[in-house]
Amino acid sequence: MKITIAVAGMLAAALATLATGAAAHAAPEAKNALPLGSSIPSATVKMKSVDGKAVSIRDVAGKRGTLVVFTCNHCPYAKAWEKRIAELANGAAKQGIGAILVNPNDPTNYPDDGFDEMQKRALALHLEVPYVVDDTSNVARAFGATVTPEAFLFGANGKLVYHGTIDDNRADPDQVTAPYLRDALAAVAGGRAPATKETKSLGCGIKFRPRP
Amino acid sequence: MRQPTLLTRLRPWFAGLLAGAAGLVYATGGQAAEPALVDADVRAIQNELRRPHAKAILVNVWATWCEPCRTEMPAILAFHRAHLAEGLRLVLISADDETERAQAAGFLAAQGVDFPTFIKRGDDMRFIDALDPRWSGALPASFLFDGRGRLRERWYGEVTRAELDRALQRLSKRKP
Repeated sequence: MKITIAVAGMLAAALATLATGAAAHAAPEAKNALPLGSSIPSATVKMKSVDGKAVSIRDVAGKRGTLVVFTCNHCPYAKAWEKRIAELANGAAKQGIGAILVNPNDPTNYPDDGFDEMQKRALALHLEVPYVVDDTSNVARAFGATVTPEAFLFGANGKLVYHGTIDDNRADPDQVTAPYLRDALAAVAGGRAPATKETKSLGCGIKFRPRP
Repeated sequence: MRQPTLLTRLRPWFAGLLAGAAGLVYATGGQAAEPALVDADVRAIQNELRRPHAKAILVNVWATWCEPCRTEMPAILAFHRAHLAEGLRLVLISADDETERAQAAGFLAAQGVDFPTFIKRGDDMRFIDALDPRWSGALPASFLFDGRGRLRERWYGEVTRAELDRALQRLSKRKP
C-alpha cells in the first residue's frame, strides 16, 4: 500500500511537472545527466591521479565494465560514503570492472579538495584505484554530473547501465537495506543488467571550475 | 465584582508588544528565538504544499554544511519578508542529520527565522521526486509553486534575490 502510494505520488509529481512546464534555472554548468545506454564521455581525457600519473577513464576500463564515481574530500555526503566507495572501487577490479574516482571540484574555496588533501585521503582510504583531478570540471560536465558522490557504471560494451547513489543510508552502513551500487556491480560482473538502474540521493552540488 | 488590577489591564498590551517584537525581529532580519524544526517526510511536505491561503510557495532545501545554502539564505529570507503580505509562503527544509539539528536551529535563529521550518526525514529519493522529479538532489535547490501547489520554477544551485523577484512577477501574471 505504502509503495503504491509512493509510486502514485511520484507519478503525480512527474506529470504535474511536465504539465506545468516549470521553468528551470539550472546552474550554468548543469545539463541533463547521461542517459542510460550512453557511451563513456570524455573517455580519453587524461587526468592527474594522486600518484602523479596521467590517467584516462579508458586507461582503467575493465573487460567486464567501468565504474566512474564523481566524489570529493569536503562534502559531508561524500565523506559519509567514502569508505564504502573505496571498498567497492577496490573490489570492482577483482571482478573485472575498472574503476576511477574523479574529483571535479574547484578547490579555490574548498581547500580540502586540493591535490595534497586528495593524496592524504587516498592513503587513508587504502585506495587501489586512481583518484584523479578533473582540472577543468569538463569531464563532470560531459557526464552531466551535478552532485557528489555520483556513480556511473558502464557494462562490458561501454554503455551506461547504472547511474546514481551508493546505497540508501549514508549515515549508517549497518542500516543499509538497498546497496544499489554493490548490487549493480555484482550484476555487471555477472554479465547481467542491474535490476535498479537509476537512483538519487541528496548531496553537495559540484563546485564547478569557471569555464575558460 | 473584583476590580481589574493594573497587571490585568496591561496583559493584552504586553501580549501585543511581544507579538509585535517577534514580527519586528523577523521583518528586520534580527536574531530570533530558535525556530521549531519539524521532522518532515514526503507526506508532510506534500501537505504543506497543499495548505491553503498562499498565493505562492517557495521551497528551499538547504543544510548547515552547504556553503552556497548559507550564502543564499539572507536573500531568500529578504525575498520572503518583502512579499509576505502578498501571500508568499516560505518552506525551509533542512537536509541536516539529527546530529546537526542544533546547528540548523542556531543558524536559522541567527538569520532571524522565527517560524517553524522543516528537517527532512525518510527516503532521499522519494523526497527528491516529490518536490521535482528532474532534480538530482544537489544542494542548494529552490522551487516556486503556485497557490495550487503546481511547480512553476526551479533553481538548482544558488539563487539570487533578483531571480526570485522576477520569478514571482512572472507567476503573478500567469492565469490561475
